[in-house]
Amino acid sequence: MPSIVDIAVGNDAFQTLVTAVKVAGLVEALASPGPFTVFAPHDAAFAKLPPGTITSLVQNPPQLARILKFHVVAGCYHRADLNHHRQLVSLEGTTIDLYSDEHTLEVNNATVIAADVVADNGVIHVIDTVILMRPHWFAGIMASARSGLKPH
Amino acid sequence: MTMIEPILPPSTHEFAEVIHRLEAGGTMLPDTPENLMQIIGLYKAYAVPMDFYWRDLLYIAEQVFLDPLPIFKYFLPSEYLELANHYAGDQADLRIWRGGATAHPELRQFMTKGELNRPLPKLAHHLWHDRINMEFAEECMRAMLWHRNMGGELDTYLDSEEYRQNADRAIRAYFQFNPVMLGLYRLFPDLFIEQCRQATMTSVLGLFWEIMAPVFFEMSDLYDEGKLTSVPEAMNFLVNGIFAIAGRPIYHRVRIRGEWYDIVPRAKGFTWLYEAAFPYVEAVFYRTSPFRGTKSYNAQARQIPADQNDFHYGVLYADKFPVGSAGIPPTLLHQDMYHFLPPYLVDYYRQHCRGEDDMLIQLAISFQRSMYCVTSAVIQAGRAALLYPLDDSNPRHRWANRAYFEGQINRFCRRDYGMHQAARLTAIQSQSYR
Repeated sequence: MPSIVDIAVGNDAFQTLVTAVKVAGLVEALASPGPFTVFAPHDAAFAKLPPGTITSLVQNPPQLARILKFHVVAGCYHRADLNHHRQLVSLEGTTIDLYSDEHTLEVNNATVIAADVVADNGVIHVIDTVILMRPHWFAGIMASARSGLKPH
Repeated sequence: MTMIEPILPPSTHEFAEVIHRLEAGGTMLPDTPENLMQIIGLYKAYAVPMDFYWRDLLYIAEQVFLDPLPIFKYFLPSEYLELANHYAGDQADLRIWRGGATAHPELRQFMTKGELNRPLPKLAHHLWHDRINMEFAEECMRAMLWHRNMGGELDTYLDSEEYRQNADRAIRAYFQFNPVMLGLYRLFPDLFIEQCRQATMTSVLGLFWEIMAPVFFEMSDLYDEGKLTSVPEAMNFLVNGIFAIAGRPIYHRVRIRGEWYDIVPRAKGFTWLYEAAFPYVEAVFYRTSPFRGTKSYNAQARQIPADQNDFHYGVLYADKFPVGSAGIPPTLLHQDMYHFLPPYLVDYYRQHCRGEDDMLIQLAISFQRSMYCVTSAVIQAGRAALLYPLDDSNPRHRWANRAYFEGQINRFCRRDYGMHQAARLTAIQSQSYR
């Protein structure tokens, strides 16, 4: 069975991702036994980023690698497994938020458009948006709106 | 601005008008030509001293480093005036400003003659405070160092063994021929490591502002050319800029006798957005610290929060009238900006209040408006990066965006410590606040 890297290289919709993984020096890691769960943005997802974003990341491989690692989780989580998780910790170290119902699976602000592409060292879920790390204060901001202002 | 179809019921937030404006792709600041003129004029006036700040901050972080008597740290060597900005000039990594990469001509002219307009010796200008006031820049750096834990991975790294070892190597090399300082280092290692952390934060702020200066210069040029015509357009320029440079490396290195020592290596993967921009906005725009004479430090008076997370003394909450007094750091910034105001703003200030006599206060309030616009850009960039497009057709996504906007605006509504009274969000909705 092909590896995660083989599948990405063989699919025309992942050209930007494959280039980014090569520049970031992550090919070897993603071809290792793993297993990994990869949330893979397709080319249209990268194209949604404002001009210059990819250029400046490609100029700086360690920073690019960090963003890419945020799209990878250790372990093999299929679509059905992800229904039971609200959060997963990425290889970058920051938590990824999950939302699922009977129709959709969302990873942070991205929607999974093709799930369970199985590789011999893990599984790929294709996403429609490049996800970025949510700083720790993000949860507090969202909670503040839900609870309203506490009277003091 | 394209029209976005509202699919949610109106917000019931006390700043519903601002929430709706943000949801439509606007800013916390109303979109008026007067606001646009003020914020762009101030970006220009801020960018010139900022061109000095970032250069000197890098000089202090990289070369002055742990000098126990850094008397000449504000005397920028020509090497740093010639240092090419990575985001301006022909050789830029990513050209944001169409102008040159070395120190701005207006800055060079001011450094030679000062406000006195006389080419006196550098020391005379310095002692007379007729110079760019780095004290303000260092106050911002200290706010970032002191508050900490505002997101990003650098904060944890500063406490790591790896950081300590990198710092140790640089400290030993720096004081190689100074047995007294080396002896003190052996006795009080933590003191030196903390000084090194301060130098690291100096580098972080320098690298942060290296980008903001060309961003502001370009915005000013676009406005002069008639290509920036509304407040949301100005904000969108900032949002696109934030994305474009989000991945810029944040690092700290020191040059000792011609050799570079990495204290925070580029290879750590620290980025401009997470390790510099978000912490900067939190520390400087929201928190900072109360300036002496404006609040009682008496614990029983309870004027100052016990929890640093609740500090609210940044520019968004600043009462610009006492801040315009002597000895309060932002006043030094206002003084710096005063020298580089575009003529249209000078004319504008002459027409209002007491004309030229209170120009520092008027420009400080324009500056506050311009920083509400920058904060709006950071809020919108955060929304774009972490949540959903403004025109998303999924109501659940639109509710999430609204929660995010309301959560952000709630920071200006809290009743404890009188934060809602300190916040200037209500004031900037009206032109009569000046």
